Amino acid sequence: MIKQPNVIIGNAELLVTMGRKGELFGFFYPRRDHAQHIDESLACIHTGESLLWTNSNDWQSIQNYIEDTNIVSTKLYHDSGIRISILDLVHPDVPVLIRRFKIQSQKKISGKFYYYSNFNVGETSKKNSGYCDSKARLMVQYWQDYYIGIYSMPEFSEWQVGKAMDTIWWTNSRYDMEDGKLQNNKEDIGNINNAAGWKLELEADGTSEFVIFMGAAPSRNILYKRMHELSKLPLEQIFEKTREHWVMWLSKKQVLKMPGLEGYNNLRQELFNAYNRALLVLYLMNDHENGSFVAAPEFDSNFEKCGGYGFCWNRDSSEVVLALKHSGYPEYCDRFFRWCIRTQLPDGSWFQRYWLDGSTAPSWGNFDYSTQIDETGSTLYAMDVYYRILEGLKKIEFLEEVWVSVLRAAEYLMKRTKTGLHESCMDLWETYYGIFTYTNASIYAGLMGASHLAEENGEAGLARRWKKRAEFIKQATIDRFWLQEGYFAKGVINEKLDKTIDASVIGTYTPFGMLSPRNPVERDMIFFLIENIQKKLSSPVNRHYGIRRYENDSYINGNPWLVTTLWLSEAMFALALDLPYEKEKDPYEETRKKLTEEGIKFLKWSLAGTTSAGLLPEQVDKSTGRPAWAIPLGWSCSLMLDNILLLDKICRQKAGKEAEG
Amino acid sequence: MGVESMVRDLCMFAGHNENTQIAWFKITYSKNPGSLSSIINYLESQEVQIKFGHLDNITKQTGEYSIFTEIEKGVDIDYLAAKIGELEAVEEVEHGVSEHRMIHLVDFPLNVIGVRGIITRAPTLVDIIRTLNESAPHAEGLLTLSGLRGGIHAAKYFRSIMPLDDKNFTSILAELYRAVGWGILEIDCDPETFEGKIIVRDSFIADVYGETDQPVCAYMSGYFAGYLTEYSGKTIRVREVSCKATGHEVCEHIISPAPSGENQEHVITRGVSR
Repeated sequence: MIKQPNVIIGNAELLVTMGRKGELFGFFYPRRDHAQHIDESLACIHTGESLLWTNSNDWQSIQNYIEDTNIVSTKLYHDSGIRISILDLVHPDVPVLIRRFKIQSQKKISGKFYYYSNFNVGETSKKNSGYCDSKARLMVQYWQDYYIGIYSMPEFSEWQVGKAMDTIWWTNSRYDMEDGKLQNNKEDIGNINNAAGWKLELEADGTSEFVIFMGAAPSRNILYKRMHELSKLPLEQIFEKTREHWVMWLSKKQVLKMPGLEGYNNLRQELFNAYNRALLVLYLMNDHENGSFVAAPEFDSNFEKCGGYGFCWNRDSSEVVLALKHSGYPEYCDRFFRWCIRTQLPDGSWFQRYWLDGSTAPSWGNFDYSTQIDETGSTLYAMDVYYRILEGLKKIEFLEEVWVSVLRAAEYLMKRTKTGLHESCMDLWETYYGIFTYTNASIYAGLMGASHLAEENGEAGLARRWKKRAEFIKQATIDRFWLQEGYFAKGVINEKLDKTIDASVIGTYTPFGMLSPRNPVERDMIFFLIENIQKKLSSPVNRHYGIRRYENDSYINGNPWLVTTLWLSEAMFALALDLPYEKEKDPYEETRKKLTEEGIKFLKWSLAGTTSAGLLPEQVDKSTGRPAWAIPLGWSCSLMLDNILLLDKICRQKAGKEAEG
Repeated sequence: MGVESMVRDLCMFAGHNENTQIAWFKITYSKNPGSLSSIINYLESQEVQIKFGHLDNITKQTGEYSIFTEIEKGVDIDYLAAKIGELEAVEEVEHGVSEHRMIHLVDFPLNVIGVRGIITRAPTLVDIIRTLNESAPHAEGLLTLSGLRGGIHAAKYFRSIMPLDDKNFTSILAELYRAVGWGILEIDCDPETFEGKIIVRDSFIADVYGETDQPVCAYMSGYFAGYLTEYSGKTIRVREVSCKATGHEVCEHIISPAPSGENQEHVITRGVSR
């Protein structure tokens, strides 16, 4: 069953995804992509008469992050007058989720509080083993060297470990809770589940508090020690330490000012919040050991409706690390490019997608015709962008480190673009085979970047050769794909020119800079592109328009995407900044203003499509306006960061000009 | 407390006859002596052939008489309905014509023991069961748990509309199974110990499933367990020990109280204990 999270929390080793009612969807340890140990994990209340599952429709919920942290507050309200406040946080140093439940009721309750979990430790329901160590106050489930444990304060007074999916249904913890009394079975094997129970005696308007520690460890011994040590600390101290950790991490960010946005109905504050949230989310999507990123926390591991998102794509991650670099976190570039050097294929290209440890992931791009050449172009381009901001010794060291990789990747691109356009491969949306405007633009940028790096490395001959090919690709793309209608064709599919407008053709301008706004003809082309994408791909929802990927897109109902919408607004902001400026009489003043205003509308539309806690999805449902798919998506986060930084720059420039008079 | 309402919707399957039409009438009438016979007499006088009829006691004062009829094509059904409506005993008439004469429902949606019901071919459900057995891990457990929910609901529903006691709890379950076409039950269950067995003749699952090595009626075992658990307030285990699909004449399910506490019987019976 596919479940999209409303919030995510974690630390460097643990990633937890949760629904809007505080139910756990994913518990990824020790990597963000593997292993996911949970099928279900949530609280229940037995009122003395019936069992209430906190994820049922009978509860209303309000969920949000504690400001500038990855700490979540969830408030649940039941029709019967029961109210539950849940505070969720992951300790910054150890992979332990801490869940504090405060329960209040308008009426007297004499019942039970239960915490139910169906773990699939090691990402399998097979051959698991579970037990309750009542002396150590621990419920444990393990498979090979993955151990998941539950500890609580106060100590749970009853428990059950039973079969989750068997004919001996009465051992099933899910059913065992129904009568308000657990059987205290101590151990079992196979596909099992567990429940811990506490007496819940509430006077009218009284409060009870339960704290659950859910930890992960590579051995029984470490699990016991971890839980024992953590239980000695006051919860307030853990909370403060966790809050401080996130606030400190955010303090390194590029500071925003956004002067002049005060009049936009709280937009400035919304953008500050979105900026912080995107940064906090990207921290959680990153593999701190390897440097790679998941595109999104996995939500479809059976590939029921898509190919899954819990893997690292070079295309997405290149965008992410550059956005993080622009936002004040250059260290992510370092680690990611080291990962790239390690994962580059023998032919010099990069694979469609990888597990975060660098091994190749399940793929439908195993051949030359089905690979995605743009990923190699994007990676080279990103390496050069990073190199350009480095200074001194660091610059030299970086070039030394990546040079062989750059050489191999550039030669791969040379090999596959002999006619000026790339050989047939798969497009960036992983749907079509053919020759694509976007892919050509990424190769152009990759070769231009490689050429610059070669020049810096004293390889003038290679630099000239790669630059010449890049210019050849640019010319061929314009000659073959630019249409009289004022936009680039999607490409050649089945040997025919496909004139479908595809939002990714804006990549010719941003990020790849194949079209330059300093060239008047190309500047006009950029304007035409923006206009036509807006005109032909707008999809009305949430009081404005989002941008679809391309005409007749049928993937997940052909919704508008945050990626394409923020990509277009990024192009608008970038163009507003790139347009020539003359101090005396600015000929582009009105155009610049219009581009900025239009961009802000798309930015606001994107903010309206987040989860209630502010997570950015891949798509927005075209009918309901709700976040629709892949939540949170790293690429959406990186585009949000880029947009906000560009808008900040526009605001600062405008304020500067006004100050100049 | 008596049965206050019993809702039963209608459907029918008709053969093909170009000269006639299939019409249905839902007649709400006052329950005075002789009122129902006045309606039937009138229909007979109009040469209306009643193919299927059903009475429903909605309240103490009114009843509902639903009929499917076969009527010559030339007859004006709207006019006939109006004339029925003019009868003294009749309060309201709804009517319609089954255009294709194959299958028709008077009410939509159907209602079965208090919740929405559907009519389905047995192979439709058995195909789902077969697919689960072939492809899903723990299919038998999954089907048991699904059945468990159904059985719990049935016992709760019956208890909500009538007194459910040691004298009738088995016969009501048997009536239900027969009414929905799932099978014919012979239930032998001691209401003190909840030990016994249930024989299922013509189980729709086993009948349709075809020959197989393993018992296939786990859904029914779960259903019985849910029903008996909800009725008794005790945890009841029901296991299918022989199944028509494995070559037996009937399906047999054994009833017993489930082991409780730290009893490891379930582990031992699986032969994994050393």
